[in-house]
Parts: sequence; structure tokens; C-alpha cells
Amino acid sequence: MKKIARRSVEHWTNSDVFLSDIDFLVIGGGLVGAASAWHLASAGTKVWLCEQASPGHGASGQNAGSLHFQIERRFLEREDGVGREGEQTAQLSRLAVQDWRDLERQIGRNLGVHMEGGLMVAHSAQEVRLLETKAAREQAMGLAVETIDRAQVQALAPYLSPDILAANFMADEGHADARIIAPAFADAAQSAGARLLDATRVASLQKRGALFEARLEKGEEIQTVTAAKVLICAGIWSPQIAAMAGLHLPLFPAPLTMNATARTAAFLPYLIQHVGRRLSIKQTAAGNLLIGGGWPSRLHRTGSGFDFSRAPALVPQSLTGNLQTAVETMPVIGEHELLRSWTGITAVTQDQLPVAGEFPSLPGLFCAAGGSAFTLGPTFARLVADQMLERRRDEADALLSVASPARFESLNGFMGR
Amino acid sequence: MSKRIGFVEPPAPIHIELDGEVVEAYEGESVAALLVLHRDGMSRRDRDGDARGLWCNMGTCSECFVRLLEHGRSRRVRACLLEATDGMRIATGSHTQDD
Amino acid sequence: MTDNAETSYDVLIVGGGPAGQAAALELAAVGARCAVIDEQARPGGQILRQPPVSFAAQNWVDENSYRPLRQQLRVFENQAAIAWLGRRSVIGLQPGPQGHSLTTSGADGLQELSAAHVLIAAGCYDMPYPAPGWTLPGAMGAGAMQTLLKAQGIVTGEPIVFAGTHPLMLLIAAQISRAGGKVAEVAFDRSLATIGKSMIRHCATALRNGSLLGEAGKAMMDLRRAGVPVRFGRPLQEITGADRVTGAVFGEADHPETTPCGSIGLCYGFLPQSDLPRQAGLSVRWSSPSGGWATCHDQWMQSSVEGVWVAGETTGVAGAPIARDEGRIAGLGIAAALGLITNRDATRRAAPFRQSRKAAMRFAAMLDDIAAPKQALDRVAASNTTICRCEKVSASAVRETLGSTTDVNAVKRITRCGMGLCQGRNCEHMLIRMSAAAEGRGLETMKGFTGRFPARPVSIADLLEKPLP
Repeated sequence: MKKIARRSVEHWTNSDVFLSDIDFLVIGGGLVGAASAWHLASAGTKVWLCEQASPGHGASGQNAGSLHFQIERRFLEREDGVGREGEQTAQLSRLAVQDWRDLERQIGRNLGVHMEGGLMVAHSAQEVRLLETKAAREQAMGLAVETIDRAQVQALAPYLSPDILAANFMADEGHADARIIAPAFADAAQSAGARLLDATRVASLQKRGALFEARLEKGEEIQTVTAAKVLICAGIWSPQIAAMAGLHLPLFPAPLTMNATARTAAFLPYLIQHVGRRLSIKQTAAGNLLIGGGWPSRLHRTGSGFDFSRAPALVPQSLTGNLQTAVETMPVIGEHELLRSWTGITAVTQDQLPVAGEFPSLPGLFCAAGGSAFTLGPTFARLVADQMLERRRDEADALLSVASPARFESLNGFMGR
Repeated sequence: MSKRIGFVEPPAPIHIELDGEVVEAYEGESVAALLVLHRDGMSRRDRDGDARGLWCNMGTCSECFVRLLEHGRSRRVRACLLEATDGMRIATGSHTQDD
Repeated sequence: MTDNAETSYDVLIVGGGPAGQAAALELAAVGARCAVIDEQARPGGQILRQPPVSFAAQNWVDENSYRPLRQQLRVFENQAAIAWLGRRSVIGLQPGPQGHSLTTSGADGLQELSAAHVLIAAGCYDMPYPAPGWTLPGAMGAGAMQTLLKAQGIVTGEPIVFAGTHPLMLLIAAQISRAGGKVAEVAFDRSLATIGKSMIRHCATALRNGSLLGEAGKAMMDLRRAGVPVRFGRPLQEITGADRVTGAVFGEADHPETTPCGSIGLCYGFLPQSDLPRQAGLSVRWSSPSGGWATCHDQWMQSSVEGVWVAGETTGVAGAPIARDEGRIAGLGIAAALGLITNRDATRRAAPFRQSRKAAMRFAAMLDDIAAPKQALDRVAASNTTICRCEKVSASAVRETLGSTTDVNAVKRITRCGMGLCQGRNCEHMLIRMSAAAEGRGLETMKGFTGRFPARPVSIADLLEKPLP
């Protein structure tokens, strides 16, 4: 094969690959896909990045861009609290902090990374206790989280409501610009030699011998490509792609709501979250306040299921619920104008943990999807790329064990191929 | 210079405060019209300090947003849809606050 | 019409212009409970934008062509069965199987309204034409100058220059001149020969519509008498000035000619208001040649969503007489859907409106042809002019991004073009043209920005004071 001379990764020794058209096919041009393609191409391999619309078209470009490393409210709600999985997630968070701090330098592009700290606030005594328990666990896990009282909250962020009794502060939290990040990585990937196929859908994906064969469609143009390994990172479309290869990838759509105000002068350097309510607030570099936190929207339905091709419908109660929570936390928000409410679909697993790694029952097929894929996205991309390149594989396997698709083997054991 | 013309018969004048300056107006006259008369149509300075003016005069372009100060509240409103009332206080976006 | 505080109606009509009035009159005549919502205090739409009641205007829009519209307006204002909800912006439309809900925003906060049928007759707006310097105070849509005159009795900075492709600027310039305003020049982008060719292509229509053309001829004569030059083949190169408009530069780059002015009215055509149709998910199509999104409809003006109807410029900019015909047809269609008249009755009564609409459509097509802005817009697309006023994104920044993606929503995310306070109304049409050109695609195949709530920026305090149901 023509590209052998270019190959530079020593551990990359699968002899069958020399028969394939390309080394790696990455399906999904979101943050994870574009960043993975960048890592893979930077290692000197031949990579195609296939995106059904344009980079960042899906959840990567539509989420509110929080870099949140404190234990999430949704995990605190779980009965088992934060056990072993929590600690492993914290470990990934620590890596993600390092990754985000260096990303812009590494890829030489602006990603709007802004890490000046995050406050998770509490309104009630019960919530304050939750903060204290949470901070103790986080400190034990090596996350630098401290609890501050009302006076300290007011000193740090006088625009927060005086009703806020306490907050957990973590200096590493912040936000990045979700609008530009996937396109920036896709651009960097292309500079490193990856090929971007935009407006291209995967029509079929199957393993033939040791290789994967994919049929790709761009309008009327159809091409078939063989790859040694494939990464599925297509957000809520991932299960459909996995199904083409005969595998279960049990992800569920979570249609969410986000809100943006008109621009205003910069005043909010922090990411604001709430320990007991669904809320995230931040101010973009442009000056808009972005308000989210996981409020539901409504999926459109087709005769046979949900319609992911249409933006979910706005649910009025979510809109006002989210804004009410925001104003109760930061009263000044009431003086601003709502410019746009939008909806997007993220994908979650039943256990709320992300999915990243290789399918044991179909070696060579990898996936990275299922929640937290913005904050942890660059880290997933780096570690999955390591796995695919057989580079520091054991270390990557260990770090991603909490997210491994091995946990779906009980389902995939029923699947004949 | 812009000017009022004679084909309307306006009622007795009222007064509004435009960026602290008292200007004469007529009840029901649009604040956008007052911006044309007293500010050459300028509604704000943008973040680069460039002068900006109203464009569509029909509520669509969002260029003429000004701040209406009343009841201890500051509301951002479109000048072209805002009717002058006596004693009304208006702050144009000349202070880069909103951009 | 009467002021009214009900929240539920048979029919809610968005827009109190010729189309909305016509529909409301048809519906009120058969006993439907309907309300008309408008951002303006008084009905009339942009074409008959009324001065405040207290102004007691004399000789207000007394040109002949306005006469039928003024008559309809008078009847509308005297029809007590129609509820008038002025000074309110419709910011949300949520269609539902059991009726549709509208969210409105006004000085007293938000209000939720519901109805079995909604008619969107929201009109159009001046095409934002991004000539270099167009963000200066004093540069505005020609329609803005006209409404300042009609409804406020104000002439913008003198002397005034008009530049564009659309013949409506002749009428506006003549109105301003007759009212005592000083006009420096009316400059048509296209040559007289090109315009003449368009007229010859439509010569049968031109002959049949002699009175409307006569209106333009009279405007030309009035302008000539006032010493106002009307020039053709005179593309606008730049609007100059530091803090406000001081001149308009015409001609070729090596032979620039500057006309000093205090304000300039740009008149390159009109775009349909399409925020609500797109937010509600109605099918739309690109409207050629002036651009923007026209809402698709059936022969009774019903959109792709049952119970949501459209009329007037919302369906494609074609002028007030057509808007009025479409309003009547929609009104009859809705009346039949409500069971207030039979289908047969509706068909019979709509027949003359269909006929006059068809005839007027030919004239609208001729105007479109004469006013085609493509050449003028292509010039801007190749420049480094600011096309997104709110976020100050230049055509060159957009061109650079179009090298990596031609998906307009992606370009929007990357450049912020269309993310500002106007929510894309100013720049989307340019972005779509540039994107289509970059990809070599027809405009009719393009997708636009995703429509979102709210259709106009709304105070968060207002939203929370009266939350949506």
C-alpha cells in the first residue's frame, strides 16, 4: 500500500491494515471525532473524518460549553452517590483540566477556553450539607474544591443572590466556545493530513475479514472505503452506526434547552452551577450570558420512533424554569433580554456514565459518546486515539475502564454477526 | 439637518429626557423620530466606538435599541416602537454598556 | 375594531396591514371572533403607517394609489367586532393539535393567546443592503424614511440621496420632495437600457397596468420639476462620513463621483418577515429574485401546518393589492374551516379575488424583474463590507469561512454572522447568497438559519412575571 512509508507509529503492527484503503475511519465530526482525527493524523496515519453535516453541527456545537469538573448534580442524585465510578470520573476530570489548559497551544487555534473558576451554589441548609459532603469526596479524589460561605461568595461574586448560603469553588472550571471548537479541531486535523468528508452519511458499516468496510454517501456520490479501525463518535446517531455493524450501543436521546441573552459588558468570569437545581450560567467572550443546566425539550416523533433530524420543540416550562432558577441565583439576569432559546440532543446511557473504548466483541471498532463529551471530550479523544494507535494502550485502557463499552457485552453476547 | 415638516398638526409639546438632556417632543411621537431630530439618527456607539444609527424604523433591524428608565428599572426597548410620554427618560446606547 | 382583553379567539391575525385587515373583515362579517395583533399602535401596516391620533394629520398619504387601502382601513377601524391588540410583538408561535398558542410581548409584559386558527400576515421589510458605510447614522432603508415622513412628519438629514434598484424609491423621493424635503439625487443601480429590456419582456403587463406606471412617471416628473436628478446605471460604491452620513460615492473606482448628503435611503427590494413561520416549522421557500423566505401555502392560503394560514408579503413580496386579495381568500378559507360558510360559498366569493390577484401577480413579476438586486448584491459579496451589523462580521470574513464550509448555520457558528440582536434578519439573505455562490448551488436549494424562540428579544423579567403556560 502506498502510504506505508509515511507510517511512523512503531506499535501499530496489525499486518492486515496494509490491505486497507485507510488506517482509520472516524464517524462523527463533533468535538471528539474532530479531535480524535487530529490525534490520529498527527501520528502519521491515514484518517478520514466523516460528518453528516458540518463539524460541530450536533451536540458539540449546541451545548453551552461548560468545563465542569466538580461532581455533577445528576450523580449526587444517585443513591449510590459517588463510588468507584465517581473516583474514576474524577481521575478523567483531572486529566481533562490539564488537557484543556494546553489545547489552544497544542493545536495553534483559538478555542475560546476560559478557565477562571467555577462556583456550585446552594440555597438551603440541606444543599449546603450536600456541598460539604461533595467537597470532602472531591478533595479525597484530588480535585481542588473548597467550600466558601455566604460572605466569601458575595466577595467573590457580588452579583450572586444574597440568598446563596454557600458554594463550592473550583479554580479550574470555566468554559470554552462550543461554536468554534469542533470546526477548529477539524481544521487542525486536516492540516495534519486527515481528510474531512462533510455532508457525508454512512450508509453501511461491516467487518470483512480483518477490515471494516463502509459505504459513504454524499448526495448522489457513493464510495466504499476499507479501514483497519473505526471510531464511532456520532452523538445520538451512534447507536444507528453501531447497529450497522451488528452491535448494541444503548444510548438514549436527552433533548435539552439552552438560552442566550443579548450581549452585555463583561462581568462574569466564572462558571456558575447549582448543587440542587438544574443550572449553568456563564458569559461568553462576546458578552452573551448562556443559561442552561439540563432542562428538557421535546423530541419530535416519527411513526417508528424519535426524529433526530429536527431540532426538538421548546417546552415552555423548561424555558421559564431555567430562567427562574437563573434569576433566583443571579438576580441581575432579569435585567437582560432573552435573545435566543435553542434545543439540542445529547446522548446518555442508562447508568449516566460515558462510553469510550473498544467493543470487546468486535475488535477494531471503537466508540466515544454518551454524555460529558464536551468537558471530557478532548481527553476521550486523546485516550481513544492512543488505544487505536496501540500507543500507551494499557494506560489508556485503565483510564477509560469506567467508560468501556465492555459493559454492554451482556447485550452484545446475544448478537450474532 | 433633519426637520419636522408642516403637514401634521401636532398637539402641545411635552418634554422627555434624552441622555440627561431635556428635549421637546409631542405625545405619541416615536423616540426614533426624536433620535433623528436630535442625534442625526444615532442610537448608540458600538464596541469599536463607531457611531450607529437606526436602519428600518419598523421594529425589525434591532439597531435602535435604547434604554427606557422607569420605575427604578432599565428596560431595553426599540426606539422606533416607543411612543414619547411627558417626563420619559431615555438613555441611548452611547456608553458601550450594551455592546 | 375595539380594544379587548380576551385571551382566546376563533382566529388570531398577526399583522394589521392590508392582508390582515382584509382577512379580519371577511371573518367578522360571518361572525368569527377574531383579534388582530400588531407592533404598531394603530392599524395600517407599513404602507399606511398612521401618525399618532393626537397629530391630526392633514393630507395624509393622499396619492391615488392609496385610495382603496385607505377605504379598507376606515372600514376596519369602524368594525366593532374585531379586537385590536396593538403595541404588541408576537415573539412565539407554537402550533398544537388542539389549537395554536401565541406569545406576545408589550409594555405591560407578556401575554399568551390561543386560537383554533392563526393567520400570519406579518408583511415585509427593506432588504438590508450592505453598502460600505451603511452602518453610519443617516443610512437607512428607504422605507424607514417613508415611514418617518408618513407617521412622524419628519424629514431625515438633508439633502437626501436615494440609491437602489427598486422603483419604489421614486415614489418615496417624490413624497419627501412634495412634503418640502430636499432630495439630492435618485440613483438607480441598473442602466435605463436594462430596465427597458425588463419592461419589454413584460410589455403586455406594463400596458395593462398603465395607472401604476403612471404613478412612477408622475413621481419622475415631480422630481424633475423640483430639480432632483434621477440617474440610471449609477451603482453606489460607498457611503462616506465619520460619525454620520456626509456623502454617497457613485461610479467606477477610478472615477468616483461624490454626492454630498445628510442621509441616504437604500432601496434594493424587500424581504418577507419569516421569523414566526420558521419558528413554527412551516414550509418555506427561497423568494426570488429579491430573496428571503416566503411561506408555502395551498390555494386557500393555508400553510403546511393545519390551522396556520398566511397572506400578503409573508407568502412572497408582491405588493399591497395582492396582499389584500390574499387576506380575503385566507379569511374565506378560515371561515369555511370554522364552518361559518360552506366551501361552495367560499369558492364563489373568493373567485374575483383570485382573478385580481392573478392579474396583479404579473405586475409584481415585472417589478421583480426591473428591481432585481443580484448584480448589486454580488458587488457587496466580493467586498469587505460589514454584512452582519450586530456582530460586525464582514463579507470577507464570511468568504474566508466559506472555504471550509458552506453550511450557513456552520458559518454562523464560526463567524457569529447572524448571532446578534437582530437574530439574523439583516444578514441571513447575504450569507445565503454567498454560500450558494461558493458551492455553485441554486438559491432555491439552500437552507437558512434555524428559527428559534423568541422572534424578538424579550426582557427576562417580563418572561418570568407572566410565564408561558
